[in-house]
Amino acid sequence: MDDILYKIACTLANLENSNNLGKLMRGALKEKIPILEILEKGLRKGLNEIGRKYEAGEYFLSELLFGASMMEDAMKILAPRLKAERLEKKGQIVLGTVRGDIHDIGKNIFKMFAEGTGFEVHDLGVDVSPENFVRMVVEKEPEVLGLSALLTTTTPEMKIVIEELEKAGIRDRVRVLVGGNAVTAEFGKEIGADAAALDAVQGVSFCREWLSR
Amino acid sequence: MKEPEGIAPRERIKNAADFKKVDVIPWCESFYEDTLVKFFSEGLPAHEIINIEWEMSLDGRLLANWPKFMGFDPHSYFGCINYMGCAVPVDMGPIPRFKQQRIGENAKYEEYIMETGARSRRFKKEMGKITWYAMPQFLEFPVKDKKSWEQYKKRLNPEDPRRYPKDWEKDGYLRLFDGYQKGPTMLVITGFYGFGAELMGIPNFNLAFYKDPELIEDMVSHWEYFTIESVREAVETLKDRIDMVFWWEDLAEKHGPNISPKLYKEFLLPHNKRVTRFLNKNKIRRIMMDSDGNTQPILDLVIEAGITGHWPLEVNSGMDVRNLRKYYGNKLFLAGNLDKREIAKGDEAMRKEIDSKLPLMKETGGYIAGLDHLVHVEFTFEKFKEYADYLKEKLII
Repeated sequence: MDDILYKIACTLANLENSNNLGKLMRGALKEKIPILEILEKGLRKGLNEIGRKYEAGEYFLSELLFGASMMEDAMKILAPRLKAERLEKKGQIVLGTVRGDIHDIGKNIFKMFAEGTGFEVHDLGVDVSPENFVRMVVEKEPEVLGLSALLTTTTPEMKIVIEELEKAGIRDRVRVLVGGNAVTAEFGKEIGADAAALDAVQGVSFCREWLSR
Repeated sequence: MKEPEGIAPRERIKNAADFKKVDVIPWCESFYEDTLVKFFSEGLPAHEIINIEWEMSLDGRLLANWPKFMGFDPHSYFGCINYMGCAVPVDMGPIPRFKQQRIGENAKYEEYIMETGARSRRFKKEMGKITWYAMPQFLEFPVKDKKSWEQYKKRLNPEDPRRYPKDWEKDGYLRLFDGYQKGPTMLVITGFYGFGAELMGIPNFNLAFYKDPELIEDMVSHWEYFTIESVREAVETLKDRIDMVFWWEDLAEKHGPNISPKLYKEFLLPHNKRVTRFLNKNKIRRIMMDSDGNTQPILDLVIEAGITGHWPLEVNSGMDVRNLRKYYGNKLFLAGNLDKREIAKGDEAMRKEIDSKLPLMKETGGYIAGLDHLVHVEFTFEKFKEYADYLKEKLII
């Protein structure tokens, strides 16, 4: 069993094609390996390795996207059984690009990677008002609120969202993660975010770290 | 605020890019139009930078001395150089163009078909209110697969006579280019990454390197053919009257290049080399890549491809002229890299940023001063003037 899970992880981490990964997945299912094992010891292990290689400068955006796309294909094979087994998500993330900003490439990459890692992501899209973020935090009770902004002119909106969370008395219920080209670690600290992600993989790492505590 | 006396800015740029001695380090900037509008409201004297020419005809009607608004010339006012002051007029876009048109709107957004064929939306402009520059949100791109690429390719015919102006005539343009000494004569080329990302969108284009390498190979082969053949007439006519090639690529973000060195080597390098060899054969040797983000992991390959200069070297992405010079010596002339965030603060922060980089650049040469991107709306007119005055003083060798 470990052998086939190892192969699944390696096939994904080495970005071999989706067909090979699909064959291995179907093999694992035929051997009646529990879905959770396939997910955790196979696919997510492989995806984590892709993230590690990206952070280490061995992989770049193309590899990250292709890895996430292979993961998406693999999840389609598992989808019918996932529903039956009702596997728990690792946690919930409410995500969006702040008001006045309609950029979404970085946000979407983060979303793909976070979903692959096992988070349930509620994507509010772009140009999201602070009120909308607050409303969704109240409604979904996520562990993480992810705020994205590309422009230096729209990063002040992140601070407004945090202030609105405070006003609503729910700031301590959710971790705030900020990201985007104009965001720096210093800026994150300055506005009272819990962390500033310099890229999608680092953002997901923060979420995993918070949820594992 | 006049530019420093001495040799013409055009020669200064050429000498700096060639690592030759200069009397003053050249200074180039590009302005967002929004920034200039803001500067007007903060005291920039409009009459000193608005460029008006006197036309004898307008829209086919014969008129005498009809003033025509041509745009802004902030460069002369501040004493910096415009990279694009004199661009070789080759149309490298899709021909026929997609008709740029608004296809929908709601209370907040307008949806457009752009000239490249992409569908996008952007914020609606409010009357009397300035909408600051922002890239639109792309909703759909014209190339999705082999079939749509084959369709699009028909618009990328280098032989189309509309690629050159109707009045294209060798001697006239030679005179025109020789007469322009305020900056370099520039030929603008879109590098393959920029080309593909514009047609497919960054995520799909990046994925295609793995999911559909045959499509990428076909696109890059056509890009090479299209680029060389489109510019051939201008390049073979003007040769080294073209001072520099502005190679727009935008292939990186803060974390690093969007494509790996492996993919660059496999797909881009051979084609880029053939384009740069064609330019070199015609005595055009200054080729400056425009890419934001952290390009360092692929710079060795970029240089191998024939690129000789790099702009704007974003500090926020970890680019630093001091390290780049140490590592690449005179293999790469450097342009920009003055941290816009620090410079916009003015005073001590601005002076510190300039003083930390200029001495080494003066000593080693091969540098064109400037911000690490366009002049953004966060600058106030006062702070930009303060920067201009301080920098110009420091640029003198």
